[in-house]
Amino acid sequence: MDVLEARGLEVSFGAAKVLRDVSFTLRRGRVLGLVGESGAGKSMLGRVIARNLPEGFAVTGGALSFLGQDLVTIADEPRRQLLGDKIAFIPQEPLTALNPVMTVGRQFDEHLARLGAPRAGRRERAIAALAELRLRDPASLLERYPFQLSGGMCQRVLIAMAFASGPALIVADEPTTALDVSTQAHIVQIVRALQRDHGTTLLFITHDLRLASHVCDDILVLYAGEVVERGPAREVCAAPRHPYTRALLAANPPLDGAARRLVTLPDTMPGLAAFASLPGCRFAPRCPVKDPACAAATPPLRDIAPGRAVRCTEACLTGAAAIVDAAPPRPPAPPPGETVLALETVSKHYPGERDWLGRRRPGVDAVKPLDLTVRAGEFVGVVGESGSGKSTLAKLVMGLEAATGGRIAVDGKDVTVNDPAARRVRLGALQMVFQDPQSALNPRRPVSRLITQAMEAGDGRWSEAERVARARALLEETGLSPDLLGRYPSQLSGGQKQRVNIARALCVTPRLLVADEIVSGLDVSVQAQILNLLLDLRRERGIGLVFISHDLAVVRYLCDRVVVMRHGEVVESGDTDTVFAAPRHPYTRALLAAVPPEDPDRPWPPEPGPAA
Amino acid sequence: MTPRTRAALRRCLASPRVVIGLALIAAAVAVAILAPFLAPHDPQEQDLLNTLLPPAWAAGGVADYPLGTDSLGRCVLSRLFYGARVALYVAALAATGAALLGAALALVAGYFGGWVDWLVSRLVDIWMAFPPVILALILLVGLGAGVNKVVLAIVLIDWTRFCRVLRSEVIVVRRRDYVAAARLAGFTHAQTILREVLPAVLPLLITLFSLEMGIAVIVEAIMSFVGLSVEPNVAAWGVMIADARQTMNQAPWGVVAPVLAIFVTVLAFNLTGDGLRRALDPRLVTSRGEA
Repeated sequence: MDVLEARGLEVSFGAAKVLRDVSFTLRRGRVLGLVGESGAGKSMLGRVIARNLPEGFAVTGGALSFLGQDLVTIADEPRRQLLGDKIAFIPQEPLTALNPVMTVGRQFDEHLARLGAPRAGRRERAIAALAELRLRDPASLLERYPFQLSGGMCQRVLIAMAFASGPALIVADEPTTALDVSTQAHIVQIVRALQRDHGTTLLFITHDLRLASHVCDDILVLYAGEVVERGPAREVCAAPRHPYTRALLAANPPLDGAARRLVTLPDTMPGLAAFASLPGCRFAPRCPVKDPACAAATPPLRDIAPGRAVRCTEACLTGAAAIVDAAPPRPPAPPPGETVLALETVSKHYPGERDWLGRRRPGVDAVKPLDLTVRAGEFVGVVGESGSGKSTLAKLVMGLEAATGGRIAVDGKDVTVNDPAARRVRLGALQMVFQDPQSALNPRRPVSRLITQAMEAGDGRWSEAERVARARALLEETGLSPDLLGRYPSQLSGGQKQRVNIARALCVTPRLLVADEIVSGLDVSVQAQILNLLLDLRRERGIGLVFISHDLAVVRYLCDRVVVMRHGEVVESGDTDTVFAAPRHPYTRALLAAVPPEDPDRPWPPEPGPAA
Repeated sequence: MTPRTRAALRRCLASPRVVIGLALIAAAVAVAILAPFLAPHDPQEQDLLNTLLPPAWAAGGVADYPLGTDSLGRCVLSRLFYGARVALYVAALAATGAALLGAALALVAGYFGGWVDWLVSRLVDIWMAFPPVILALILLVGLGAGVNKVVLAIVLIDWTRFCRVLRSEVIVVRRRDYVAAARLAGFTHAQTILREVLPAVLPLLITLFSLEMGIAVIVEAIMSFVGLSVEPNVAAWGVMIADARQTMNQAPWGVVAPVLAIFVTVLAFNLTGDGLRRALDPRLVTSRGEA
């Protein structure tokens, strides 16, 4: 029996078709993955179901039926009956989805009341539902407020609420994106187990094809509002056919196997405004194997095997097979140069607040005494989950925070105290690339003045012509078009912003870059472009890198050495290949096990750990 | 001009509040500057044969005195025009001074934080605990009367408005990574404050500035009403109200005219300020889905 069926569904914003010809069937008890990068339209489907389309968007064609009822034309009242009772949602941001001023218990109670549960048994039902999620001591959890819980715990509460009504369909929109890898593994484990036990049908929306291959039975790959490939999850990931699916997988650095240079596609996915100029295949402008016919007319979604369909011509599919094989091995690391950065037993302690008697509460050891040296041309990865102190480490290195212990040396000169002399030493050697380009780029500066900002520092006297020339050189080096010189950050795409961010750091020709989670907000294909850019910079400039990330696969691809941090402490460090192939510390092992493996046949997630 | 500035400007000019407010302010400024050409009489010229004349359109009015005369036979319209000079002079100068002092302290406090911030914040707290009118009177008694003393008094009282509001905005901006990036690019603290932080709080500063001009007009009127502002031989709106107060029963227009002038001017500044706030405040802009 089909729980959800879409036939030629079309959503438009003005003349632009945001979703075009989306068709699928989702049978009872199955998990369908909707995979796409940002802007692919994957969240739009969930919004059609909830009838929560943004202003100006409307369903303009096709049908979407739930258990035989058309969700597009259904009246408001019966639809409200369906939502919550028969269709439940798991949101992306667990912390904002719960009301911070109400206890978990009260919100759960209200939710059950909405579902029509009698008052008498509600508390017991809530406790039972939370216990099913392996949450320890659910009764006391009900008395707590959302802000007293971690993101993972909030998400589990929301999952318990979603399953509470015994819905026929659950829509989960990026339910694990805001969480750490090990939490993600837990959540996925729990959702799958509940889904199996209750026979619930699940629509799983994600940007992570590899995660989808382990969670879902079937996958729809979306690109610019079109389904480009559809089929059983394992088959799609083991043997992708569409050039985009292939490129997406090839852009995702693997956690095992040989390190091949990541395949990148040029540019980014077209936005809404560009759809009108793309009458044919929307992937054609970036397609490595396109032929002229593709750009003229959209190829239909053809069945190529039982249950598998691809929106591409036969000729292209043949040519696409060559994409991944053509990838050269990752360039070997050059021999490292002299030591640029040396940390000796550096630590950072944040003192606690004083209470009203003036007594200090216990503080936090954000970074416990730690040694680290980085040489020119060396890429060192710092990995750990949120709260491990890795961002504090970056701030200590850059002098944005003062160390409470130990010694920091740059080029052999002591810069522990960030006085003007130390700032000059740092300025010539170190630069930082910030995590969030939205916050790191001043919206009031055009690109040319952003990336050459260092030239107006101090008493620097540079002519306007010199600055523009430098800006052009930096743009070229970071693979950006000189057309961007006069643009402002708000007019750039996410990938372009991050390149501008890197270009700014390169302006003073540093020998070491400190990069804090610089690819975590980017789509996989854009992330691959940035990673390759960093490798190219090393080859051309012999630059070193301290790369802070929670993504182990990215660190493995990029870094020669890795430092694993937990609660401000280094638990393991060493040569990347050695650490990842034979992790010694249980925490490193747990982190590695939490990453969805490339091989879709390897069972994942691992068996659940103890309840949190 | 950045696209952000252009969009902000477009939003400002699409706001009826800003357009009406600016038009009224422009009219007031024009009247003040062109007073010697527009005014039918010298503001101090007395016509003792024609005292307490009603406006020209009322019974007994004379075309030569469009808004009538006061108890000394001085032309009300001419005094109104010249009075605009005093009002706008005080408004512009006092708002500028208060903005400069308040913004400077706010930038320093918000940017450096720590004990500097503590000190400035406590100073603002203490300062704001004084009733402003009493504080102004005390200051003027200490400083002596005079229009420039009024300006100084307003600056010394109202810098706290700027300081308190701007400081919290500076703290928000200061946490952005681009401020840290500027430091890492070698900017000095002064450069970082002036080139990275100040431009981000400028829209708020402009809004506050406009509202402060309105406040300054009222304060000046009160001070000249009690005779602590301009010399007695200078026409100011507060002076006109004070003069016409005795003869209010026979000639109410003598009070009504300057009160209306104050009302329209303050309304213009408040409309502009309110409109600018709605057009420039990022929170209000996003809530209407325009950004």
